[in-house]
Amino acid sequence: MKLEQEQIKKIGLAGLVLGALLYGYFAYLLGPVQENEQKANSGIAALEPQIADAKKQIVTTADLEKKAPAATALLNGLKNSIPDGAPIAWFPPKIADYFKARGIQKVTTHLVSTTPDDMPGFRRMVWSVDVPKVEFVPLGIAISNLENTEPLLTVLNVTVDAVRDDAQYQHATLVVSTLVKS
Amino acid sequence: MPIHVNLYHEVQRQDLARRRDPLRLAMLAVLLIAIGFVVNYFIVLERSHSIGVRFAALNEQWSKISPQAKAAKARQDELNNEIAASDAMLKTVESRLYWAPVLDQVLKTIPSSVQLLHVGADSPGNDRDTISTLTVSGISSAAEPRKEAEAVRIALEKNLETRFKHVTSVFKELDDSDQFVLLNGRRLPTATFSLEFQIEVRDAVADASVPGAPHKESSSEAAE
Repeated sequence: MKLEQEQIKKIGLAGLVLGALLYGYFAYLLGPVQENEQKANSGIAALEPQIADAKKQIVTTADLEKKAPAATALLNGLKNSIPDGAPIAWFPPKIADYFKARGIQKVTTHLVSTTPDDMPGFRRMVWSVDVPKVEFVPLGIAISNLENTEPLLTVLNVTVDAVRDDAQYQHATLVVSTLVKS
Repeated sequence: MPIHVNLYHEVQRQDLARRRDPLRLAMLAVLLIAIGFVVNYFIVLERSHSIGVRFAALNEQWSKISPQAKAAKARQDELNNEIAASDAMLKTVESRLYWAPVLDQVLKTIPSSVQLLHVGADSPGNDRDTISTLTVSGISSAAEPRKEAEAVRIALEKNLETRFKHVTSVFKELDDSDQFVLLNGRRLPTATFSLEFQIEVRDAVADASVPGAPHKESSSEAAE
């Protein structure tokens, strides 16, 4: 079938209309929709792992929250065992009473130094405890009990010297460090 | 066979030509394609809308969960710090050197022929240094007082080695004395001595008792 000139023109016109239609369709209708879809898809791809991580974080923290009281019981217990107030006010009487209760009299305690501790919320205080007259065995018992009942206290130095006038007794000096609230 | 004359052939030809009009056919094709595109557009639009709805829902969820997650992270850090501090405290408490059992060992090791004049115990007081020092000074009295002092050094070192990782000892002083003592009715020469024990404590403290609980070697042992 041979096309006439008029028909060729009409087909050309139809082609032009089709081209314009395709351009308009892709550029003004489908394009923006697909662009929005792409943005939403990439947003979803970014958000999903973030939300999963956030949920995981919340669960992890909840688990930790359950375990924490047991894990920090020691620290809280020790913190609560430290009396309030200035240590210089309560520590020397406490030590004097401690030894007095074990029959060791005239014990004097002096502050040697105070340094910040690695542990946040605590500082370390070093004290010199002078025991002018004591027998070796009661002293050993007293030190043993002191070490066992005071977990925050460390005996750094013990010096026991014989008393020249009385062979039965010794003169002892303890250097102890203890953690106190800062 | 009858002769059949088609008087409408012109009309039929024109009708056929009109039906086969390329423009008409092209327009029909364009219309079909346009309908296809419109259908596709609505499909894409619906899909895009559902994705948009999902994205909006996720956004809303994120805006709710994000502050919770941040708070949870902060709380987790706080709890981890508390747990780490508790662990560090436990380590500090457990790494203490208990001197009372050492004094007990000294007391048990020294024989009656030796009079103690001085006992000194010194620990470093930090986690980095592991060496503690024990000094023992006294007067030994025996037929051979130097040998007696040496026996004390060996016995005490041996006893301390049962408790600590590594123990070394050295005489800081060992001198004959011009004094004599009466022991069990015998007049014996004496020697003054001073011993120093270097004690590596780190492994020994691993078996320290639970904080606050009575230590294994408690006062009763010291009293014996």
